[in-house]
Order: sequence, then structure tokens, then C-alpha cells
Amino acid sequence: MISASHLSRRFGPLVAIDDLSFEIEAGEVVGFLGPNGAGKTTTLRILAGFLPASAGSASVAGYDVLRQSMEVRKHIGYLAETVPLYREHRIEEMLDFQGRLHGLSRKERKLRIPKVLDRVGVLDRRRQLVGHLSRGLRQRVGLATALLPDPEVLILDEPTSGLDPLQRIEVRRLIQDLAGQHTVIVSSHILPEIEAVCPRVLILSKGRLAADGSQEELVRTLGGASHVRLEVAGHAAISGPGIEGVSARLRELPGVSEVEEHSLDDGYTAFEVSCEVDLRREVGELSNHEGWTVRELSWRKATLEELFARIALELDSEPVETGA
Amino acid sequence: MKGLATIYRRELAGLFVAPLAWILLSISYAMTGWLFVTILKDTGGDIIASVRFSSGESLPYWAFMIFLPPLLTMRMISEESRNGLLEFLLTSPVSDGAVVLGKFLAAWTFMALFWSSNLIYAAALHGLGAPPDWPPVLGGFLGAVLVSGLFCSIGMLSSSLTSTPILAAFGAFIGNVLVLLLPHLAGLFDATWLHEEVESVDVMSHFHRTFLVGLLDTKVLVFFSAWTGFFLFMASRAVEAKRWR
Repeated sequence: MISASHLSRRFGPLVAIDDLSFEIEAGEVVGFLGPNGAGKTTTLRILAGFLPASAGSASVAGYDVLRQSMEVRKHIGYLAETVPLYREHRIEEMLDFQGRLHGLSRKERKLRIPKVLDRVGVLDRRRQLVGHLSRGLRQRVGLATALLPDPEVLILDEPTSGLDPLQRIEVRRLIQDLAGQHTVIVSSHILPEIEAVCPRVLILSKGRLAADGSQEELVRTLGGASHVRLEVAGHAAISGPGIEGVSARLRELPGVSEVEEHSLDDGYTAFEVSCEVDLRREVGELSNHEGWTVRELSWRKATLEELFARIALELDSEPVETGA
Repeated sequence: MKGLATIYRRELAGLFVAPLAWILLSISYAMTGWLFVTILKDTGGDIIASVRFSSGESLPYWAFMIFLPPLLTMRMISEESRNGLLEFLLTSPVSDGAVVLGKFLAAWTFMALFWSSNLIYAAALHGLGAPPDWPPVLGGFLGAVLVSGLFCSIGMLSSSLTSTPILAAFGAFIGNVLVLLLPHLAGLFDATWLHEEVESVDVMSHFHRTFLVGLLDTKVLVFFSAWTGFFLFMASRAVEAKRWR
């Protein structure tokens, strides 16, 4: 449904996106995740036919975004981050204008406008002026505007930006409802937004694709940070091997890739046993067998947040695809 | 041109939603009426002179001609470029040309309404049994509409070159003044060829020699249409260029 091949976009000396390639199948809900300035908006603008790429090509619904821009625009619903709406219009007038722009007949507009307004929960406010709406309501009207032509592809740039937590939950629910009926691309720099609604994530960093895959796959492949945490009574209480010895015993367990130890202020020592699978049982048995005084034994699964932070902060990872 | 009518309707409605449009129309009708009655009194009832004065031979007329189109067009592209509405329009299935032309036509329609006061006063005179000389009246109206069209197209170009409405208005105002003062500026140089070239693009002389005497010269119609088309084309290219910046 959406294909980007070696997309690049420069603004003078600034490289906004650099050699970006990905494919999105029909019906997928994909999240574009990245820190501010990562190139998310630029990519979405190229896909929406607003910006031309400096190099590379992209197609949406089988049409080239540059050469067949008009066809592309007929097949997309695009909600920009700024939620552009005419303030002097009433909500239903704004949607009527959008319907006319997309060539919907009077009958189609009459049928579809109340339907999409009901879907985003503003049907009872349809006579209200856009200029008098709260940010959350404007966002919903913006979504209704994007949905009105019943597009195959929905491109939503930071759809929850500026909303309060309750409004965010509402918008998330709405996007989740759209899954399956439309191909949806959602961009955000707020990780929980993407985690909540997008099974597949594309992480952008400095204009490059840093990771692409389902959340689970990304965490599994790139995670590395999943670990069992073991807190053992301090130095003096560990009979025999000492801290280094404990680490060595833990490293001997099958599936353990690394063990880090941290001395805690209260005399305990924490061991972080990196492993891809939950090894609490094995670590517990070892502790029993060795007679260590254990205060905590817990399993901490790597999260997308840790992965995102690593990519955003380190900015050195090679692009990773997990075959999604 | 798909979407042209939709954009035109929205822009026109947008103009009339704001009180400014109604205030300007009221001023136009009041000013034209006042000028007409004043000259009518001064000339001892010369209707033709009164109509001519209120439609092209007075300073307030040209002041409105120079100032109004920039005020109408200044926000049409520049502000929408700033608040994201241009992005909304340019990702809809309408061409850049339709966006520019639709907005221009709305401003032009408003200007036509603005100048229609002369027609109404002339019709009132006709109804009262003192028929005016209709060719100059109609010519004056047509001329006003064509010059307004030219100035609106300059306004559209200016609006498409900046995202600051007041700067767009200033640019358009300077453009309009330059267009009207071109013969005077050329007069500063002692070059016959320059005077001849400038004379062919002298808006004021075209206006006075044809429209105000009730003549309809196709060459003049082509002159105004061509220059208006040129500025609109440039505005459309400037909107397209925004995508590349």
C-alpha cells in the first residue's frame, strides 16, 4: 500500500531524511517514532504529496507521490500536526468544504458527514464554530476531516499532541478502531502513544531508519536489556566466593549473556543478569543452593522505551529490520 | 479545474463572514454617493461629469484602487501558509493553480461588488428620469473591475511570496504604485524608446482613453487579461515553490 525507496530530503544544508526505505501493507497500523527533528513530519509530508523528495521515490496506493500526486491525494486522509481548520466555519461546514474538495456528491456528503462526526464524538456539536473549540475537540474535528473521504490511507502527524491524558486515550481508541479498515500511519515522539496503538513501529533517528518491526520483535532483537535482578545481602554475608564469585556463578547459568553488579548503600549488592528468557527459577535455585541471603529476585523485560532511548541517545545503531 | 468553485465559494464566504467586507462596502457606497452628489452640485447638475469623477477621475477612487486589493489578498496565501491551511489545501485533490485562482476570483468578485455602487447610482438616476450616458458608466465599471483584477493578481503574488500578511500587503501596495507611476518614472530618463515601451503598459492611460469614454477596445482587454494572468501564473509558481523550500 505504501512504499518508500531510498527517500532523502534536504532543506539547504540540512538533511531532514536520509536514504529512508520501507514498505507498509494494506490495513497495517504503523507508528513513526523518533525524537523531535528525526524526520517524521518530513516523511509524512512527502507521502501526503505536500513535499517532493530530494532523492528516491515513494508510492501510496500504487501511485507515485511525485508524478501522480493528485491520485495520491484522492486516496489519503492527512492530518497535519497543526490541525489546520478554518476557524470561522462551523464544524459541519468545515467537513462540507472537505467533502467538496474531494468531489463528494451532495448525497454522499449528507450521508457521510454525520457518520464521521458521530465516530469522533462531536455530532452534537456540529453547529459549533471551529474557532470556539478546545484543542481536543479541534483534534477530533481534524480527524473527522481526514476520515470524511473514506481514504485508503490515513496519515496522522502527532495526533495526540497538546491533548490532556483523557483526550489522548479517546484519540488512541479512535485510531485503534480504524485498524483494519484503513492503512494508518501515526507519528509521535511520545512512546506510549505508539506503544498503545501501533503493532508495528518504525523508529527514525537523525533522518534515518533506525529500526523497523513489531514491538515484540524489536524488543526481542534489539532489547538486550531484559534481565533478572537479584539483590543479595552485602559483601560480608556472601560466604565463599565474594561478589566476583557470585557474578561468575551466575554467568555459568545457561542463557546468561552478561552480569553486572552494583553495590547498594544499605549493604546489599544488586546483580543484573542479562538474559533473553526469564531465568528467575534458575537464579533462585542457585541462590538456595549457595545459601545467599536474597532480598529481591525479579524479572525485568526490556521495553520499547529502553530501545527508543538507546537509539535516540546513542544514535549509532545500524538500521534494523525484523522482517515485519 | 477541479476544486476551483469550492475554493472560490469558501474564500468569498470567508470575506463576508468578517465585518471588514461589510464596512468596506458601506464606505464604497457612501463615498461614491458623496462624490457624485458633491460634483453634481458643483457642476450645476452635470450627470456625466459626476459619474466620471466618481469612477476614475478622483483621488479617493485611486486610493481605494491601490489600497483595497492588497488588504483583501494579503492573508489569502501568506497566513494560510503560516497556519497550515495551505498544507491542508495542497494535500487535497486540487491543483496549486485552482487554489490561487479560486482565492483570486473571490477577491476580484468583492472588488466588482465594491465598484458596483456607480452602477446602482446611475440606475437610480435613470429611474428618476435623468438617464446618464451609459457607455462611460459601464466602461468605467468594467475598467475598475479590470484594474482591480490586475491589482488583486499582484496582491496574490505578493501574498504567495511571504508568510507575513502585513508584508504581503506592503509588497502589493508598492507593486500597485509602481504600475501606476511607471510612465512618470520613465519620464525621469531621456530615452524615447523607453517612453514608447512604457506607454504600451500604462494602465492609467489605457483606462482613461478607453473605459472612461465608453470605448471597448479588445487590445486593452487583452492587455489587462495578459498581465493579470501573468501575475497569477507567477503566484501559482510561488505556491509550488513553497513545497521545495
